[in-house]
This record gives sequence, C-alpha cells and structure tokens, in this order.
Amino acid sequence: MKQLKSIGLWVSLLAVVALGIGPIANRSASLRETTYIIMQVIVLAASLNILLGFTGYVSFGHIVFFGLGGYVGLYLINAQNWPLWSAALAGGLTSGLLAFLLGKAILRLRGAYFALATIGINEAVRAFTNNFDPFGGPIGMTLNFRVYNSYGGAANALWLVYYAVFAIALLAVVLNFMVKNSKFGLGLMAIREDEGAAEVMGVITPNAKTWAFVLSAILPGIVGTLFFFKNGHIEPGDAFRLDYSIEMLVIVMLGGQGSVLGPILGAAGYEGLRNFLLTSPLFKNIQLSVAGALLLVIVLFIPAGAVGWLRRRVPILRKVLA
Amino acid sequence: MKRSLFVLLSLLILGSMAIAACGPATTPTAAPQTQAPAPATQAPPASTAPAQPATKTVTIGFTSSQTGSLNVESTRQYHGLQLWMDQVNKAGGVKLADGTVVTFKAQTYDDESNTDRVQQLYTKLATEDNADFLISPYSSGLAAAAAVIAQQYNKIMITTGAADDSTYQKGYTLVYQAYTPASHYLTGALDLLAKTDPSAKKIAVAYSTDSFSTSVVNALKTYATSKGYNIVLFEGYDPATTDFSALINKIQAAAPDAVMGGGHFQDGSTFAKQLFEKKIGAKFVALLVAPPEDQFSQLGDAALGVVGPSQWEPQVSFTQDSAQKAGLTWYGPTGADFTSTYKAAFNEDPTYHSAGGYAAGLILQKAIEDAGSLDTTAVAAALDKMDILTFYGHIKFDTSAANHGLQIGHEMVYVQWQKDSSGNLVKQIVWPAEGATAPLLYPIP
Repeated sequence: MKQLKSIGLWVSLLAVVALGIGPIANRSASLRETTYIIMQVIVLAASLNILLGFTGYVSFGHIVFFGLGGYVGLYLINAQNWPLWSAALAGGLTSGLLAFLLGKAILRLRGAYFALATIGINEAVRAFTNNFDPFGGPIGMTLNFRVYNSYGGAANALWLVYYAVFAIALLAVVLNFMVKNSKFGLGLMAIREDEGAAEVMGVITPNAKTWAFVLSAILPGIVGTLFFFKNGHIEPGDAFRLDYSIEMLVIVMLGGQGSVLGPILGAAGYEGLRNFLLTSPLFKNIQLSVAGALLLVIVLFIPAGAVGWLRRRVPILRKVLA
Repeated sequence: MKRSLFVLLSLLILGSMAIAACGPATTPTAAPQTQAPAPATQAPPASTAPAQPATKTVTIGFTSSQTGSLNVESTRQYHGLQLWMDQVNKAGGVKLADGTVVTFKAQTYDDESNTDRVQQLYTKLATEDNADFLISPYSSGLAAAAAVIAQQYNKIMITTGAADDSTYQKGYTLVYQAYTPASHYLTGALDLLAKTDPSAKKIAVAYSTDSFSTSVVNALKTYATSKGYNIVLFEGYDPATTDFSALINKIQAAAPDAVMGGGHFQDGSTFAKQLFEKKIGAKFVALLVAPPEDQFSQLGDAALGVVGPSQWEPQVSFTQDSAQKAGLTWYGPTGADFTSTYKAAFNEDPTYHSAGGYAAGLILQKAIEDAGSLDTTAVAAALDKMDILTFYGHIKFDTSAANHGLQIGHEMVYVQWQKDSSGNLVKQIVWPAEGATAPLLYPIP
C-alpha cells in the first residue's frame, strides 16, 4: 500500500496513459494501430526488463514466449473455439510453463552461455512449430473472419484488443514496479550484481531466477495471442523473429535497464527512431545496423540507459523516475 | 568526449520521441509518374469523356516492400500497377454510369516486408487516406494481414503476388485474387509429365518448409496420388539450406522418374545445381519460383531442362482471337504492348510480378466500368460476375462461400530452359500445349 504513494510509479503509469489515450480520445483507428505497436513493445520490453534489468541475464530469444503464446492462443480460438480472453490467458500460462521448465535447465548457465542458449531455444521452438501439424506446420493457422463476429464485428474486435494491450501495458508497469520494490526484486538485483555473493547472503538463486524468467514470459504470451488474433494469421517465420528479440534488448537498454520508466521511454523513443530510420533515405536500408551501433554506444557509455543517465545528471529527478 | 556523446545520444532520443509524438508514423510516398508512352494499340479501354463531365479522383491504396527481403518482387509489382494507372489516366480515365469521369491516384507506404506494419498502414489507408480501393502488398503473409483490414472497412482489395489459397477460405467477401492459387503451381507440371511420358510414375518431392512451398507440395501430393503416381520421397528442407547432399542421396536412392518441389530463388537454384552435379538420373525436374527468373540461366548446364511454373511470361500470347475462341470477353492491352511500354517506362523486362501488378489494376478498372459506379457492393457484384481474357490470362473468381474471391480462371504457364541453335540457354514455354513455344526437352540430357 505504501508503494502506491510512490511518485515514480505514477509517473510511469501516466507516461503509458499519455501514450495510450490518444486513439481512444480521437477514436482514430489509424492512430490506434500505431499506438498498438508501441503498447506491445512496452509489454515485451518491460517483461524482458525483469530478466535483463533486474536479474542481469541477457536473453536473445525472449520473443519465443510471444510466438508460443500466439500459437497456443490461436490454436485454442481456431480449433477449440475458445473465447479470446481465455485463449490469451492460456497462451500466457503456456509461455510461463515453458519458462519454468527451461529456467530449471538453462538458468544454471551464466553470461554468454545463457544468451546463446536462449537463441537455441527460440530456434528449437520455431522448428517444433514448423513440424507440428496441429499448429499447421509451416503453413501456420488462419482465423476465419467469422471469429470476429463474436466480438461485435472486426472493427469492434480490434478496439477490444487495443484496450486489452493498453491494460496489459499498465499491468506490465505495475509488475515491474512491484518486483523492483519487493524482497524478491532485491534478491534478483543481488544476483545481477554478484550471484555468488547473493547466494551467500541467503538468496536461493535458482528459484529466484526461475521465477523471474516465468514472470517475464507470461505477459509476452498473452500479447502474442492478442497480436495474432488481430493479425488473423500466424506462421513460424512471423512468430519467432530473432530480430524482434534483439530490438527488445535495444529498447530496454536505450530506456534504462532495471528501471520501471526505462522500457516505456525506450519503446516510445525506439519506435520514433525506427520510423525516422525507415523513412530516411540515408538509413532505411541499414536501420538494423544503426540500431546495433546504438546498442553498442549505450553499452559502452551509458549502460544505465536514458533513465539512469537522467537520474545521475539531474538529481531532482531521482524521486520521480522509478 | 563522454559528455558530448551523452548530449548527442539524449538529443537523438528526444528527437526521435518528438518525431513519434508529432509526426505521422510513416511518410506517404507519392507514386511518381512513369514516362511510359501510351501503347499504340489496345490501351486499357477507357470511355471518352463528354465536353464538361464531372470528374473524380479515385485513391488506390496499397503498401509495397521498399525495404526488406521482398523488395525486388514488390517493386516490380508496384511498377506494373503504376504503368496501368498512368495509362488509364492518360487515356482519359473511366466513365461511370452517371457520366462522372474518374481518374486514379496511388497512395502507398513502405511495409518493410513485415507483417507488423501491414495492418497499421492499411488502417491508415482505409481511414485517414480514404482509399476507395485497395491492392494487396506482395506475398501471401502480408496480404493475409491486409485482408482483415480491407474486409473490416468494407474496401475491395485485389490481391496480387499472394498465391496462398487459405486467405480466400477465411470468409472474406471483398478480397479477390489475381494470381493462380498456390495449390495449382505444380499440378500442371504433373499434367505435362503425364502427357509426355505416361510410363513415368515415380515422383520425389523435396521442398522448402515455408508456408507457400508447403501449400504447393501438399496440393501436388494430393493431385499426384489421385492420378496414380507413386510419391517415393516427400521431404522438406530448411529454407536457408545450402548443402543438399544428404537429401539428394535420398532422392538418388529412391530412383524417381521426376523430381519436383523447391522453394524460392536462392535455395531452388542451389538445389538445381547440386542435382545436376550429382547426376541423379531423373528425367524431369520441376522447381518453384527459381526457373522463371532470368538469373537462373547463370547456372549454365545445370539449368538445362529444368521446368518452372510462372504466372505469366512475355512469350504468352493471349489475343482477341483466343478470347473469341474461348467465348470470353477480351479486355486490355496485348502482351506485346504491355511488354514494350513496360520496358520503355522502367528500362527492364517485365516479370510475372510486373504483369500481376498491372493485371490487378486492370481487373479493378473493368469492375468499375461494369458496375458503372464506385459503390463497393456494385463493384463487388461486377467482380463476382467477371469472366474475361486479358494479356495476363483468364480472370474469373470463385463465388462460393467457402472460397470466395479465389482465382479459378487463370492458369500457370510452365517454362523450361533449353538451348537455341547457337547453344545459348533460352527460356521456352512448354505448357499448356496451346501456348507452347517449344516441345518439352525430355528426358533431361
């Protein structure tokens, strides 16, 4: 309850609301689609932040949870006639379950070995769906347009999905804040600083890391279902895009890993930058290279990202920026 | 040094956030006017305007992949569409039943070859840009994402470069396909084999495990089985495969009469080259996508005899006479006119992607003319009734609830690389028989 009085939490929530309210106020479908991507990126980046920012584990294959959630959710909607909301929840829980099982195995690895293992997992799950007939194999799955009738037609369904991703973005911010300000979060940050020392101090590191991994997987699984429901089609190449995982790392580091506001600033900043790079005649063909170079600069010079830099340079903001 | 970097980076972040907050998400690309001369004969038919007719500009909305992996094919498709639009506008536009003369303008964005962007951009086209009609992006995956938006906003969308059957089995009523569906890509090759050598019964199918190629070979397998063929091998490979030795060893062990499958250009041409080097002894090889491309001839002798399906080739000569014989209405320019004006406009030979782009515009033009209005219901009804022959081929759509909008008129043509009298590799059309420019080279030497 005391945590609710934190200005940092409210600033972060306000930032998400400020970004997300525009399409609802204007009833603009076009703005909704643009903002949807930002909201989705906030959820994915904030989720990754739990693992990367608080625990210090770099996951190059975090998109696997988004893709798997999308597959499970769409399968349940398409083949089992589940409603969207239950299917999305099931997508999230399945991703959480995968994270739990994987966490037990690969979170014993550290540093580069863990990062490499996460790439392998993404590729393994992509190969699995490519060969798993109930998920449509390489062809994937497509929703019949009739599905949207249950949600008041396609136009209404897309608004419902937007409200949902907006709410989940707010939830992701609250989750980040709660983790950061809990004993569990302190344990994760101790692991980030020195895993051996954390163990000595009484943190049961395998458990803490596994639960951090699970927490970071559930919301991406839910938004995976929402995205592919909106898209109407899923196939392995779209669901398990390694470059999307790398973009999330860039976003978290750009905004400030380990902070609550960081993923929000990173998502808004990166998406803005990306639009600029994509439409700039100079950069449009090398946009990922530029993003990579940016990541390098951040790692070298401002490892704490925009939030960390602002907090250090402008002490008055320390209480405001969570 | 560090301080200046910090300042630079923070300015970059703030600047990009300002762009995100203030500017539009993307910059619309105005379609440049081509310098194409209007064809001398058989321009897209356009009605003559009265002295002072009411005029209206119709916006055609679409995305093209100006960046990303689909850039080459998508750009050609865009060129074809652009040529159609310039020609019809130069010819005076289209006259509606109430005397209004409509001309066309394009509103387009870069979709980055990425499904994430497609729904965002098609929503913008449908709502902010008020596009009257939509054309699909290139590729089945992107078109499937765009179709949801087209149907949702009650906009007719002609798809081109989108062969996958499944998009038309989702209950859409306003999405119409210009391409022959993926399920028909290799079935004609089997008909060709059956006609050439009825004793050839053993088929090995090796295919890239991507969505499009898998759809094609699944349909091929069903068709081949129904025709009594023996599928001795049916195996997928990763689209990024560069070494096919193990797969070719399996094919060799199965001793097939014919090898079919493939995927896209890179893997398909590598597969053809390695098949040739291993000398597996198959009498007939038919692969997807790669053989119709001109660069395929760079394989030299490895290209000789390889058959590939194509949506259209410049040598295909559908004419008014062939329309009359088939009892169809002829519409639009001849293939020769299209080819020459395209070359003049873009300084490159048209491919089937270019022809598909042009055909999409032509289909829409004919439907608007037949409907005599821009009303979605009336134009959709005209599309449902359409049964025409163009330079691109026969156009007719399935109107059943299960497959609405699926292309059922257009057929693939099959090309084969052969040697001319000087020993140079040339692309010949070998199927269907009525459009063939040379008999099939069989068995492969």
